[in-house]
Amino acid sequence: MWWVADADPASGGDDPDGDAPDAAAAAADSDATGASGSAGAVIVPVEPSSTLRSTVAHVAEAAAADGASAIHLVEIASWRNGDPESEERAAAAERVLERAAAWTTADLDDSEAPAAPDVEVVTAVLGADDYLFGADDYVRVLAEYAEANDADRVVLDPEYTPVGNTTLLQPLEFALSNTPLSVETAPVDRPTRRERFRTEATTGRFVALFGLSLAFYLLLGNPTYWFDAVTGVATAAIVSITLSRVSLDSNPAIPRTPMRILRGLIYVPVLLFEILKANLVVARVILDPRMPIEPTMNRMRVIVGSGLPLMTLANSITLTPGTLTVRARDSDLYVHSLVPWAREGLFDGSLERWTRFIYYGRRSARLPTPRERDDVAILQGPDATEELPIAAAAGGVVDASDAADGIDAADASDGSISSDDASDEVTDR
Amino acid sequence: MSLVDASLAAGYTLGDFLLVAAAGFAVLAVGMLYRAVVGPTMQDRVLAVNVLGTNTVVILAILGAALGEPTFLDIALVYALLNFLMAIAISKFTVERGGVL
Amino acid sequence: MTAAAATETARVWLVVALTLLGLFFSFVSMVGVLRLPDVYSRAHTASQADTLGAGFGLAAVAITVGLAGAGFKSVLLLFFIFVTNPTAAHAIARAAFEEGIVPWIEGDDRR
Repeated sequence: MWWVADADPASGGDDPDGDAPDAAAAAADSDATGASGSAGAVIVPVEPSSTLRSTVAHVAEAAAADGASAIHLVEIASWRNGDPESEERAAAAERVLERAAAWTTADLDDSEAPAAPDVEVVTAVLGADDYLFGADDYVRVLAEYAEANDADRVVLDPEYTPVGNTTLLQPLEFALSNTPLSVETAPVDRPTRRERFRTEATTGRFVALFGLSLAFYLLLGNPTYWFDAVTGVATAAIVSITLSRVSLDSNPAIPRTPMRILRGLIYVPVLLFEILKANLVVARVILDPRMPIEPTMNRMRVIVGSGLPLMTLANSITLTPGTLTVRARDSDLYVHSLVPWAREGLFDGSLERWTRFIYYGRRSARLPTPRERDDVAILQGPDATEELPIAAAAGGVVDASDAADGIDAADASDGSISSDDASDEVTDR
Repeated sequence: MSLVDASLAAGYTLGDFLLVAAAGFAVLAVGMLYRAVVGPTMQDRVLAVNVLGTNTVVILAILGAALGEPTFLDIALVYALLNFLMAIAISKFTVERGGVL
Repeated sequence: MTAAAATETARVWLVVALTLLGLFFSFVSMVGVLRLPDVYSRAHTASQADTLGAGFGLAAVAITVGLAGAGFKSVLLLFFIFVTNPTAAHAIARAAFEEGIVPWIEGDDRR
C-alpha cells in the first residue's frame, strides 16, 4: 500500500477520540447511503501552520453545509521511512493529524447543519515510502489518494508549507488545477509573516539560554566581581526572555545534548586536519601562475535533518577548501566546487557522515554515500547532468526558509546550542 | 617578564616581530581594498570588506598582544561580531525582497 | 639553560611559526580574492584561506598572551571566526545566486 493510514478506513484503525468506528463504517457505505448531498469527500492537506485551526473550521462548516461524505485530513510525508529520525517525524505528524481531527470533530458537533453528523473524519499520512520532489509529486500522491477515497475536492490551508517550503503553495495549486479535483484555498485570515521563526517557549529552553548567556558574559568579564555578576544576570535574563523562543528550536535533553557536544568535540580535530590538508592543496592551485581551476556548481541531496545539523554540514563544507555551500534548499545543498577533486571528495560524503555521527550517533553514520544513493548532480561544465536552476533564482521566488534557521542559531552569539529535530518546522525530507 | 619581551634575534623582541606581522596583515588588507573598490558586483565588494574585517580583527588581536593591551581583544571581539552582521545584513538587503535570512 | 627558559624559547618560536603561517594563508586569501574569476570562487578563498590565516594569527596571540588570562578571549575569537566566516561567505554567495549571477566556468571570457 502506498500510503500509511493511521486510521485506515478498511481496518478501522486507531483513530483518536473514538471517531474511528463511524469513520470506518461510513467509509464502507458512504457511496451506498450517499449522505444527504451530492458532494464527495474533501481532502485537506495538513501541516502545522498558524492558520490550520481556522482552515479546519472552514472546511468543517463547508462540508456540513454541502453534505460532503467525508473530510480527509492528510499529511504528506516530508521524510522517508528509514531515514534518520523518520520515526520521530512520523510521530509528530500523527500528533498534528490527531489534533486537527479532534478540531474537525468538535466543529462538526457544533455545526447547525443537518448533514453535519454524517460527515466522517479520516486522517492519513501519505507518501512516506518515497522521496517526493516538488509540487508534481505531491499532486500525484494527492490525486491517487483522492481516487482511492472517492474525493473530488481539495481545500488548501493558505499557510500550507510542505517541507517548510513557502514557494510550493502556488505551484501546488497550479498542478492541482490540471487534475479533475477542484481546488480551493480556505478563505481565512493570515496572521503576520515571520511567525515560523518563533517556537514554543519552554522552561528548558529558557534555562539553557539563560545559562549560556550568563556564562558567556562572565567569561568576558570578571566572575568574582559583584558588579559583573549583577549585570550579567540582568543581561542574561533580558536575552533569554526576548530570544528563548527564537534561538532554540527544541528542548535540550539529557543525555542527547551532552552526547552531541562530546561527539562534536571529536569532530573538531578531524575537521581542522581536513581544512589544513585541503587548504595547502588549494593554496598551490591559487598561487600557481596558470591557476588550473575548473569551477562548477553542483547539487547534493543530504540526509542530515534540518536546522542545526544542516548548518553544521553546510559550514563544514564551506570551511573545507575547494567547496562552498551556496544555498541550502530543504535538504538540497547547492555546492560550488573550485576543482574536480574537491567535488569528488564532497560526493564521497565523509562530512555528511560525520555530521550524522555528531547528531544521531554511530548507528546513523553508516548510510550509503550520496554518490551511492545517486543524490548528486553536476550542474555546469562538460560533465553536467542537470540544468543550473539559476533562471528560477533570477525569476523571482525566494524562499525564506532555507538555511535561515542555521544562520539564526549562529546569530544568537552562541552557535554551540544544541537542538533537536522534533520541531514544528519541518524543512527537509 | 612577559613573552613579548623575550628576545628573538639581533636584539629584537617578539613584540617587535608581532608589530611587523601586524603591518604585514595591514598590507594584505590594502590589497583586499582593491577588490572592494573595483567590484564588479555588489557581492564582490561585500566579500572583500568581510575579508578585510577579518584581517582587521587579527591585526587588533596581534597589536593587543604586542603592545600588552588585553583590552584590544575585547574590541576585536566586538569588531568580529559587527563584521559578521555587516556581511549578513548587506547580503540581505542587496537581494530584492530580502530572502537571504 | 633552565627548563623554564627552554619552554619560553619554544613558545616564542611557536608564536613566530604560527604568525608566519597566518600571514601566508592570509596572503593566499588575498591573491585568491584578487585573481579568481567570479564571486563564487572568490568566496572560496575568502571563507577558507582567510579563516585559516586568521585562525593561525589568533592562535599565536593566544600563546603570546597566555591562556590563563586574556588569551582565552583570543580562543573565543578564533571559535567565533570559524563559525561566522563560512556563514557570512555562504550568505554572500547565496545573495549572488539569488541575484542570478551565473558561476564562471572554463572558457568563459568574463573576468
